[in-house]
Amino acid sequence: MLSRSRCRNSLNLSHSPRRSASLLAKNAIVNALVTSNTHDLSSGSGPLSGLSIAVKDNICTKSLPTTCSSRMLQNFLSPFDATVVSLVSKHGASIVGKANCDEFGMGSLNIHSVHGAVVNPFGLGRDVEERRSAGGSSGGSAAAVAAGLCDAALGTDTGGSVRLPASYCGVVGLKPSYGIVSRWGVVSFADSLDCVGVLGKNVSTVERVHRAIATYDARDPTAATPLIRENASQSFASQLGRVRSGDLNGLRIGIPQEYFPSELQSSVAESVRRVLDGLQSRGATVVPVSLPSTPYALSAYYVISSAEASSNLARYDGIEYGLRVEPPPGANLTKTANVYAYSRSRGLGKEVQRRMLLGTYALSADAFENYFLQAQRVRALVRADFDRIFRTSSALHSNSSKAQISSEGVDVLMHPSAIQTAPPLPDGVDGTSTDSSSLDAYVQDVLTVPASLAGLPALSVPAGQGVDGWPIGVSVVGQWGSDELVLEVGEAIENGHS
Amino acid sequence: MLAHGRARLITRTTTWGRNAHTVRANQEDSRWPGWELVVGIEVHAQIKSRRKLFSESLASDLGSTPNTNVSAFDAAFPGTLPHLNPKCVELGVRTAVALNAEVQRKSAFDRKHYFYADLPSGYQITQQYAPIARNGRLRLEKGDITVRIKQVQLEQDTGKSTFLPRNRITAIDLNRAGVGLMEIVSEPDMRSPEEAGSYVRALQALLRSVGSSDGNMEQGSLRCDVNVSVNRTGRPLGTRCEIKNLNSVKNMMVAITCEAFRQIALLGRGVPVTQETRGFDEEKAETYSLRSKEDAPDYRYMPDPNIPPLFLRKEYIDAIRKDMPELPAATRSRLLAQGLSQRDVEVLMDVDSGREVGYDGELGRGAVAYFDEVSKGRDSKAAVNWITHELLGQLAFRHETFTENPISVEQMGDLIDLVQRGTVTGTSGKSILRHILSTRTTDLPSKIAEDLELVAVSGDGTSLEKWCQDAIAALPEEAAVVRRGNVKVVNKIMGHVMKASRGTAKAQDVRAMLLKLLQS
Repeated sequence: MLSRSRCRNSLNLSHSPRRSASLLAKNAIVNALVTSNTHDLSSGSGPLSGLSIAVKDNICTKSLPTTCSSRMLQNFLSPFDATVVSLVSKHGASIVGKANCDEFGMGSLNIHSVHGAVVNPFGLGRDVEERRSAGGSSGGSAAAVAAGLCDAALGTDTGGSVRLPASYCGVVGLKPSYGIVSRWGVVSFADSLDCVGVLGKNVSTVERVHRAIATYDARDPTAATPLIRENASQSFASQLGRVRSGDLNGLRIGIPQEYFPSELQSSVAESVRRVLDGLQSRGATVVPVSLPSTPYALSAYYVISSAEASSNLARYDGIEYGLRVEPPPGANLTKTANVYAYSRSRGLGKEVQRRMLLGTYALSADAFENYFLQAQRVRALVRADFDRIFRTSSALHSNSSKAQISSEGVDVLMHPSAIQTAPPLPDGVDGTSTDSSSLDAYVQDVLTVPASLAGLPALSVPAGQGVDGWPIGVSVVGQWGSDELVLEVGEAIENGHS
Repeated sequence: MLAHGRARLITRTTTWGRNAHTVRANQEDSRWPGWELVVGIEVHAQIKSRRKLFSESLASDLGSTPNTNVSAFDAAFPGTLPHLNPKCVELGVRTAVALNAEVQRKSAFDRKHYFYADLPSGYQITQQYAPIARNGRLRLEKGDITVRIKQVQLEQDTGKSTFLPRNRITAIDLNRAGVGLMEIVSEPDMRSPEEAGSYVRALQALLRSVGSSDGNMEQGSLRCDVNVSVNRTGRPLGTRCEIKNLNSVKNMMVAITCEAFRQIALLGRGVPVTQETRGFDEEKAETYSLRSKEDAPDYRYMPDPNIPPLFLRKEYIDAIRKDMPELPAATRSRLLAQGLSQRDVEVLMDVDSGREVGYDGELGRGAVAYFDEVSKGRDSKAAVNWITHELLGQLAFRHETFTENPISVEQMGDLIDLVQRGTVTGTSGKSILRHILSTRTTDLPSKIAEDLELVAVSGDGTSLEKWCQDAIAALPEEAAVVRRGNVKVVNKIMGHVMKASRGTAKAQDVRAMLLKLLQS
């Protein structure tokens, strides 16, 4: 209750016809936007002219706080805009506000937030109002789009944090190839996995925004060079041209058999099957493939992401910025770590602390070999699995501009985005949860993490509804650099639906 | 990355590797007869680049206002990412080449985690496991000793913390946070405090000559951590202790000596030496424990996922090797070959070592470069004498150093020519030198000589005759003595003439003229 009224007070959505009272009321329930832009909302000119965009609260904005949904940064104002923020503004979009998320991007249900949980808007206005999760960590971004608070939203996807909420909320969500969109100004959770993603009501909106931000930025040392982008784009050009023109003949879609675990809700599998039938009827070839490392991917992801998180969050000490809690009188101040502990314990939430401790352990001298290094070996296996089944070789690994193309490989993979429809919001949504429920939350990422580990583009597109009537998403995954092709296939799925 | 992850598992042992003993034969040291001292040094030298290692911030000068050269990245703001400064890489490679080290075609960056107020991000970016260069060596002049260099690695410097006892707070200045450092790790090849001092001085000279660092311990652009162990002659190596925070070569040498005595005293009593990190108290001249092995932190090294491995092409390394500035050893042999004495070379190079090191590898022009220019087409001996004796002497008299020398190469060269040709006397030359120093004129000495009427008076000049006649008239008694046959007394009259001529008259001409006038 408290979090919702706090949210209402900080929000001012009354500046344009779009920001009607009903939208204000909607956000009060859904809690998707945590701060709103009260400046002039008329958008400029450019490819994104007329588009309203919400920005996930872990992406830096100069004029709005960037809290990462954390008490540690609750009043933090970044001195600079993230590259993606400058780009969307420059291209004419108007930024409506910052979107709620799981703290520092860690979560799959958007319940770990100092602003309170996000409520899935799909539940509003139905016969039986249900409070279900919008997914995480970009729950606010997905919910804002689904609730009509904005046309598109920027999110981040480290292990599924754009695709999962897209699937639960019934919107489109794209995680691009790693290195395609600049991470300058994106608060790091796990540098080797973080990607800026786009959510929107339909594929063409997502494509429009993605095109505006998928440019090389020298300030991001992990950005793919213009040469590599060019090489990749050339290797998918012919396939892209054909699919774009509506000709799906020759498109080979792989179905990885490991992505249909027993936990999968039957209605989910059916939805995916229906989509595949549709594509097949239009000429695509569906091919079963195997990615044998899949069962190990989830553990590897959690070890790697937690280890990197423990490193990236070491900077939150309350000295240069952020929450500072003074040690009480008589406290032991001899070690710096003792002084920091007060700020960090108060400022960082339980889920974040849990992952940081696990990550610290994985990097410790005793555990490094068996956890961190082992997880990296598994990651290499996951990558190799994908490289083996794709038709085109990855532009990242070849020196020549000519990609190797095999006739046996597939162009894209397709699988369910999540094992279920949106789960109900757990009781005690202030972030407290038992160990078992947090493990359950981790399992939701099982279908999305492999593409994250391999840095591949992945798109979640609405694909019907489950038996409970809630949205189901299907994921399209492509080889590194084939973002445009993945989007085109997504559009084909969308067309099949309408 | 997996390979160097495995390298991490080789636990650090308390004793040196077996290599140490095989390299050097033992020489008895009278301070600790029957004992051997083994020393290894880790030097951290600030890279003299205009900008920091991973950010665009400018490197600060001494005395910069605190926290003015700090970017969002340096202060570890959320959303910032590192950007490797290619100048730092180039200067690191130059250093590695000068140390005869193997520059690695591939090197990588790690994060070393610990919490300290001068480390905003909670980790230091370093190259522990895959450094930029390995297996170098540095030859020390004295004793013909070679110290092996284990590795050279690039890493970030921390900010500076100052404890203010009055307010009981620690003030943090982040100007230095993120500045590039070269960590140069030696093998334990030194056997005495003097060798350690000699090594550090040689390293300083080398770094300055390639332009990669100021290498100044007092100013903080060079810091040393020393590892010391002792063992009875012929016995296995002992447990080493690390001494940190040494701020001068002299203190380092004293600290090593103190630590040697401390360890020998312990072992003499049958007490084993515990491996620990120690500081040095200058006043008490003793080392004290900072941290024991149990308190040694686990740095949780992790490859930095933001920084791709650094690949250096062979052409790049070769180009740097080809354009290497002259190293001290080469300078020394070249000057000796030009006919300079050992002493001349020492003085010249010593003065030269004080020259400015420019940013980004721009080489400063010091005393050696000055000499090189001045001696072109001239007698080297004359050139070096004028520079090291006259010029330096006059500068010292005025409490100035060579860096403040206003006399241009052209002026110096012209002056030497004037004296060598006999156009002015040596004495007049010194006057001209003094004149330029006091007036800061840019006029050439030829012009000054004319303006000041210092042009040497030749033997058949009328003014010489006039001065001599004036002197004879001024000193009638001495003149009479000379006329009577006591020629020695003519020196006194000569003095008078020299004074009147203000040094422009040549002594032998004056003598000849006086004698002519007095004996005719």
